[in-house]
Amino acid sequence: MSTITRDTVPAISVTNLSHAFKGHQALSQVTFCVMPQTLHGFVGPNGAGKTTTLKAICTLLKPNWGEVQVFGQSVRNDSVAVRRRIGFMPDHFSMYRQMTVFEYLDFFAAAYGLPVRQRDTVIHDVLTLTDMEGRRDDLISGLSRGMQQRVSLARVLVHDPDLLLLDEPASGLDPRARIELTEILRELRRMGKTVFISSHILSELAELCDSVTIIDRGQIKFSGPMDILLESPDERPLYNLKLATISETAMQRIRELPGVETVSEPEFATGRDYNIQLTPATSANEFLRQLLTLDLSITSFSQQRRHLNQAFMDLTTRGVRT
Amino acid sequence: MDSRSIYPHIVRAGFAGAMLFAISMSFTDVFGTGSMGLRFFELVCTLNVLIITVSGISYFVTAVTEEKDAGTYALLRLAGMNSLSITLGKSTSRLVSSLMLLVIQLPFTFLSITLGGVLWNQIVAAYLALAAWMILVANLALFCSVRCATSGRAAGLAATTIGVFVFLPRISSAFHGAIPPGVLSTGTIAFLELIPAVCSKISVFDRLAEILGLTSGFTMLGIDFSTGLTTISTASIRGEVSIVAGQFWSSLLTAFVLFVISTVTLDFWSAPADTAGPSENKSVRRWAVGRCWNLSVAWKEFVFFTGGQTFAIAKFLAGGLVFAGFRMFQEMDGYSNGLALRGDYSWWAFLTFMMTLTAEVLLYSSGCLFYEVRQQTQSTLATVPISIVRVLVEKFAGCAIALIPAIVWIFITFVLSDGTIVRNCSATMVSSYLIMLGFASHLAALLSLYTRWAALPLTILLATPAFFCMAAPILGLTAVTSVFARSHNIEVTLLLSSIINVFWTWMFVLLPLQIWIRDRWIALSQQ
Repeated sequence: MSTITRDTVPAISVTNLSHAFKGHQALSQVTFCVMPQTLHGFVGPNGAGKTTTLKAICTLLKPNWGEVQVFGQSVRNDSVAVRRRIGFMPDHFSMYRQMTVFEYLDFFAAAYGLPVRQRDTVIHDVLTLTDMEGRRDDLISGLSRGMQQRVSLARVLVHDPDLLLLDEPASGLDPRARIELTEILRELRRMGKTVFISSHILSELAELCDSVTIIDRGQIKFSGPMDILLESPDERPLYNLKLATISETAMQRIRELPGVETVSEPEFATGRDYNIQLTPATSANEFLRQLLTLDLSITSFSQQRRHLNQAFMDLTTRGVRT
Repeated sequence: MDSRSIYPHIVRAGFAGAMLFAISMSFTDVFGTGSMGLRFFELVCTLNVLIITVSGISYFVTAVTEEKDAGTYALLRLAGMNSLSITLGKSTSRLVSSLMLLVIQLPFTFLSITLGGVLWNQIVAAYLALAAWMILVANLALFCSVRCATSGRAAGLAATTIGVFVFLPRISSAFHGAIPPGVLSTGTIAFLELIPAVCSKISVFDRLAEILGLTSGFTMLGIDFSTGLTTISTASIRGEVSIVAGQFWSSLLTAFVLFVISTVTLDFWSAPADTAGPSENKSVRRWAVGRCWNLSVAWKEFVFFTGGQTFAIAKFLAGGLVFAGFRMFQEMDGYSNGLALRGDYSWWAFLTFMMTLTAEVLLYSSGCLFYEVRQQTQSTLATVPISIVRVLVEKFAGCAIALIPAIVWIFITFVLSDGTIVRNCSATMVSSYLIMLGFASHLAALLSLYTRWAALPLTILLATPAFFCMAAPILGLTAVTSVFARSHNIEVTLLLSSIINVFWTWMFVLLPLQIWIRDRWIALSQQ
C-alpha cells in the first residue's frame, strides 16, 4: 500500500455542492473529501441527500451548483474519464436476470472496452474474490439475494476501478452474508481501492471505516476520521475497566486510589465492569500504575468511546424531512 | 392508482382527436355526397376495432403478469385475496375504463346522423358490437395473462390467438376450396366448414359489415377482415338492423367462459415469473449466446431482447414456410412458374412479410427501452463509459439485426415476383411507408418511456392521424426541392429525391423525437 501524503489528490472532493428538485433543496453547500485507499462511510437519515450525493459523484446527476472531483477530474467535464475510474453499485438490484453470472460480467467487461482474452482473466479474478466462481454458469434469476449482491460487487470490479461507490450494499443480507461482505471490503482496501459506502448499519460502519461523513437534511454535519467522531465529547475522558473475576471489594479499593473521582458500574452490570472518571490532574498512565498495585486480575483498560449510534443521534435532527 | 396518472387522460384526448380526424377524413373523402355520416362512422368503427385489438395485445395482457413480473403476486395471495378477487379486480378496472372510452365517443358519433347515411340504431348496434369485442378481447388477454409467466409471452400468445381468429376462416375456406373433391374425408370437410361458421358468429368485422351495410366486407388498411359468410341484406343497406345480435351474446358468453377458466386455473399457472431468455442447457446456450461483442449493448439487445440467432433462424425458417405456403396455393391454382410467385400470390406474400416487418419494428421499438426501465438497469448502464447516444444507437443496431430474416424474405419475394409488386408499389407509397415506419417506431420508443404497456396502442392511435399531417408536407417539401433544383438546372434522380426525402423527414420529424427520447432516457437514469 502506498503512503498517503498531504499532497495526495483526494479520491473524492465535493465542494459547495447544492442541488434542488422542483423547489425542494436536496443538497445545500455540501463539502467533504475522501482520501485514497480508505474506507469512507456515508451516513444520514432517510431523505438526507445521500443518494443524490452519490449520483452526483458517479456522474448520473449534474448538480445545480458546486464542484465534484474524482481523483482530480471533474465529473461535470470529464464524465467518461471519471466513469472508467469508478464502480457504482446502486441500492436496488440492477441486473439482467435472464443472463448467467458469466454473461453478465462479460457484458460489462466488454462495455468497459476490455478485450476478450483479458475479460476471461478478470472475470475469473472477480468471481474468485467474491467467492462466486462455482456459480458462474447459473442464471442470475436463480441466485439468492446475497449471491446477487456478490455478483453486483463483482460487476463493479470488472474494470478494476480505483474508487467503489456502494449504496446500501448490505441491505437485505443475512448476518453471515454481511460479515462476508465486510471481509471482501477489507480485502479491497488492502488491494488499494478507495471504498465509499453509504449504509444504515452504523455498528458495521464503525468497525469497518477509516473515516465518515454524516449528512442530515442536505447539509454535512461531520466529515473526518472515525476516531475523532467516536471520541467522547466530554473534556475529561471516561475509562472502562474489565476484570477477569468478580470481586466484591474491587469497587471500593479502586475508589480509594489517588486521582480517582468516581467509580460506577455500567447500566447492565456484570460485577466485573467499571466506569472510572479521573481527576483533571491525573493521567491514565499514573492511574494504571496505581491500579496494578491492587493485584486485581485485569482483562482490559480502555478509554470509553462514543458509539456511532450516539454520535449519529447527537448530530442529526429528529423526524422526517419535509 | 391509475386514476391519478395523467396518461389515461392523454389517451382520452387521443380518442377525441381521433374523432376529429375521422370527421376531417370523411369530409375530404365524400364531400358533397349524401353518405358523409356513413363514411365518418365507418372510419370511427375502423379506428376503434384497431385500437381495441392492439389494446388486447398490449394493455389487457398485463393484468396478472405485471404482478408476476414484479414478484408481488405472492403478496396478493398472502393478503388473503382469492383467485376471483384477483382476476376480477385486475381485469375489471381496465375493462371499465376502456369501455368508458367508447361511451365518451357516442355524442360525437351521433353527429354522423346529421351528416347523413347512418341511423341512430346503427350507431347503438355498432357500439354494442364494439363493446362485446372489447370484453371478449379483454378476457382473452386475461386468460393469456394468467397462463403465461411474463407479459412478453402473454402478449405473444394473445397476438397469435387474435391473428388465428381473424385469418383462420379465410385460410380454412381457401384450403377447402383448393383441395380437389374426394381427397378429404366428410368429417374433415365438415370441420373446415365449421371453422368459418363459428368465427363468423363472434366476428366483430362481420357484424360491423352487416350494421353498416358494407357489401364489400369490413376492411382495414385495404384488407378485408370479414369471414365472407355474412350476407348483407337490402334491409341492412337501408340501416334496418337489430340493435343486439348473435355476435353480442356469443362474444359475452365466450368472454365469460374465458374468465371462468382464468379464475379456476390462476393458481395452477401462477408460478413466479422467470425472464425469457436463451436455453439453460449449457452447450446450447454457449452456442446461442456466445461471447459479448465489442458493441456490447447491441449484443445484449440482439441476444437477450430479440431472441438472438436461435430465434432469428426460427423466423427465417418460418418465413420460408410462409413463402412455400403461398407457392403451394399457387400450384393448386394451376400456376407453376418455378420458384416465382405471380399476381396476387406475390403481392399477398409481399404484404405478409411487410406486415411482419412492421409488427417486429413496432414491438422492438416499444420494448427495448421499456425492458431496461422495468429491470431498473438504466442507471447501471448510464455509469459505463459509453455515451447515451451510443447506447441508444447500439440498441437500435441490436434490434435491426433481428429484422434481417423479414427483410431477406421481402427481398426474395420481390426478386421472385412477376412484376406485380413493382406495379402495385408507387414511389410515393414506399416513401410514405418508410416515413410512417420511422415515425411510429420513434413514437413507440418515446411512449414506452412514459407508459407501462400502452405504448403500442397509443402509437397506432397517434400515428394514424399523424400520417395525414406529416406525409403531405414532407412529400410536398420534396416536390418543392425538386422544382427548385430543376430551376437551377440540377437533374433530380430517384436517388437524389430519396435522399432529400429522408433528410426532410429526419430533420423535421425524427430528430426532435430522437432528442426527446435521449432527454427522457437521461431523466430516467437519474431517478
